[in-house]
Formats: sequence, C-alpha cells, structure tokens
Amino acid sequence: MRAPSLVPALLSFPGSAARQDSWGRLLKITAGGGELSTAARLAKGERVAIQFDLGGERLLMPARVHLAYDDDGQCVAELRWSDMVARRRLAVVLVDVLSKS
Amino acid sequence: MAAIGVLAKEAADRELLGLMLGEFGHHAEGAGRLEEALEFARERRTRAFLLVDGAGADAESLTRELIRAFPLLPIVVALKVRDASRAVALMRVGACEVVAPPWTPEDLKASVSKGLRLQGTFITAASAAPASRSSLWYALSVALFLAAGLGVASLKRVEEKRLAAATRVDRWELPVSHPAGLAFDGKSLWLVDWFTQSFYALSPKDTAVQVVRHQTAETPVAAAFTGEAMWTVSADGTVTRHMRDEKLTPLTRYPKAAPNSAGLAFDGLYLWTLDARAKVLRKHLVDRDLSVLATYKWRGVKAAGLLFDGKTLWSLDAADRRLMRHGLERPEDVVEAVPLPEYAEGAFIPTGAAWDGSRFWTVGEAKDGKGPARLVRHKEEAF
Repeated sequence: MRAPSLVPALLSFPGSAARQDSWGRLLKITAGGGELSTAARLAKGERVAIQFDLGGERLLMPARVHLAYDDDGQCVAELRWSDMVARRRLAVVLVDVLSKS
Repeated sequence: MAAIGVLAKEAADRELLGLMLGEFGHHAEGAGRLEEALEFARERRTRAFLLVDGAGADAESLTRELIRAFPLLPIVVALKVRDASRAVALMRVGACEVVAPPWTPEDLKASVSKGLRLQGTFITAASAAPASRSSLWYALSVALFLAAGLGVASLKRVEEKRLAAATRVDRWELPVSHPAGLAFDGKSLWLVDWFTQSFYALSPKDTAVQVVRHQTAETPVAAAFTGEAMWTVSADGTVTRHMRDEKLTPLTRYPKAAPNSAGLAFDGLYLWTLDARAKVLRKHLVDRDLSVLATYKWRGVKAAGLLFDGKTLWSLDAADRRLMRHGLERPEDVVEAVPLPEYAEGAFIPTGAAWDGSRFWTVGEAKDGKGPARLVRHKEEAF
C-alpha cells in the first residue's frame, strides 16, 4: 500500500563519521530495509541510524547503505536494517499499520 | 513552467529564491505575509509554495495554515539555520521538502522538482530487503539457469547411455570351434579350447586374441586364476597349477584330482571343482594332494562351468541355459538363477562362463560342433 505522504526521517551518523545530522524522506519501508531520498550524500556501506514515526510509534532503525545513487540532485539510498531487535519491532508496527488500512 | 509562491519575511530572501526559481523555468511570486501568499495562490493556480523558516518567520505554523487552505499543494521550506530536528518537525507537519542553508540552485532545484512530483511512502510487511539487481546479476542468473539446464540434460544423457550400455548384449564369433571353458584373470578373458589344446587370451573390449598358449601335454577343459597362478583341469581329471608367465609353466600337477570336471573356481582359500557326471561340487584344500574337504550335491541338469564372483559361486547349466548361484556356506542350495535367453534358440550350447567384475560372459559351442564358437557378454545384473 502507499501512504498519503512520504514519511520524514531524521538521519544520524556514528561519531566516527563526524557528520552532522540530516533529514530525508522514506520512499519505501519494508521489514528488511527501506529506500530513502535525502539531500545528504550517502555512500554504499555507510552506517546510518534512521528515526521516523509510523503508526504512532517512533522507530530508530540502525541501517547500512546497500546502494546509493543520484536522482535528480537528491541522493536515493537503499537501506538494510541491521539491528534484528529493531527489525522485529518494525515488523510488528508494519503489520499493525497494514491491518488497519 | 509552474507558478510557485515564495513566502519570506525578508525581501532579500524573496529576491534570491525568486531568481533561482526563475532560472529553473518557474514563475515565482514573492509574498512577505501569509495573506499575500494565499491571495496569490487563489489567483494564479499555484503548483507549490516555498517558505523561508527563520528571521522572524515560523515555517511550521505557516505550513499548517497553507495546508489547511490548500491541502494538496506541496510545500518546500528553506531553512536559514541548519537544524535536522527542525527539518523533520517541518516535514511532519506537512512540508514535503526542506532545503538546508546555504541555499544553492542545485539543492533548491532538486527539492522543488521532488516536491512537484510528490508521492506517498510505499509500505509493505514483506521481510525481503529492497531488490537491487544489476543487469550483470540478471545476465549471470540467466547463464546459471542455462548452465544448470545443460548440466541436467547432459547428466540425463550420460545416464541414458549407461543404461543402454548396461542392458546391451554383445556377441562375437570366435576363431575356435570347440570351447570348453572360460575364465577372467583381471585383464583378459581366457578361453579354453579342448580340440586345439590351447588357451586363448581375449581382449574384453573387442575380443581380439592377444595371446595363444598351446598345452599339448593335456586336454584342458576348464581354468581359474589366483593372484599368482593359473589353475587348469584336463579331461582326465588332472589339475595343474601354472606360473602366470609367458609360457604358463606348469608348477604342480595333481593327477586325477578332479575327474569329469566341467568347471573350476578359486574362492581365495579353497579350490572348487564341478563334477559333471557325479553332479557334485567339491571343495579342495590347496595342499600336496589337493584334498577334498567336502562334497555337495549339484542340483542342475548338465554342468558346463563354474566361477567365483568375489562373494559366491556360480555354476552354468547347459541344459536349462541358466547360471545358478550357490552360497559358500551351503553350496548345495541354489539361491538365485539367471536365465540366459541368448541361448534360447538352441543353435549354441553354453560351455563356459566368467565374471569380469560387472558382467557375465559365456562361451557357446555350435550345436553341430562345426561352426565358430560364440562369445556373449550379458547385460548387467543387479544382485
């Protein structure tokens, strides 16, 4: 299903990356990963924590950039959720959201 | 070209953003207050709004107001101070894109064009991560699929060939007419011919004669091999142990140790003989006299050959045209029988049999005793 708007996401990076927090939009959310559109430049293999709200829950999903490419000036990144506990929580939220739609 | 409303408190910001939007081919209309922006939007069918956050303007409340009036119009917010949390908060209230300072034409263009083709997030509970397949991946997949298909096809073909070979029966005409026995030494088939008093070594591949050895002192009727010796039995019952050299030098003779022999076999420990007249199997100890340890009744009709396949004894019955299996514990019992339909026509009479490790071979004499003998390689048997 498609949400009425793109889910906003706050991006934070590990301290070793020495990068400022950034923001973007989630184009796709699945239990295994997501697709993010952002003005921040992301590189393949980079670690990033994605915080977003879904179904009334605030989720913090550690992720690894599986693929990143430029799309009309914006960076589109394919993400793989790397934390199993967070993944399970997201799966529960997704099932809840979809069951109510 | 799209009409875009620019809502900024400061005129300098309106001018800068308006110029940038103009460069992208859009028509920008600046407004310093919310009411001006709403009026412009009603008059010019605005496609989007660009708001400036900061310097006295709260884009969050402005966004709420604009969305209330124009719920379907995308709103892009340009921050004067970079703040990720503020950006996310603006997006949560409805801004479709947030541009970080310093504003560059590239960032602004990307954000506005993105806002103009806004869609919602695609949500699914499927556990699979987003697919990211390159053309190389697809090419390799196709190649792998084809290779697997070819592999399966070739394996099938090999198996079909093997089955065809296993069920095939081969026949050859031999340059002898009076075969009496057959034996296998691990490499060659040895044909015993009583008329020429000779042993012929034949190639199992094409039955070509490799070696011929004349033994004029005896009339051989059967042969068997051990690791270092060749055993033969002659028509008068004399068993001879030969050295496996070129001349098959006789080493030991056992006169009349096995009368009326139709077959000879060695099981690794004992020598076995088949008496065609008395219809008995004899187990001999390989000592100075080739002593008979035991005698067992043979339950066939016309004994013609004897062989050991590594596990059990087999005897050849020329009358019933079959091979009979005997256990070493109770050799008088026939535990299995393999018919020989190749001799069903009656033109040949089987006179000897051998086992090459995977198949039976038999040799047959023409019924009238005049034509060439026939060698038969039988189909594979599953025991």
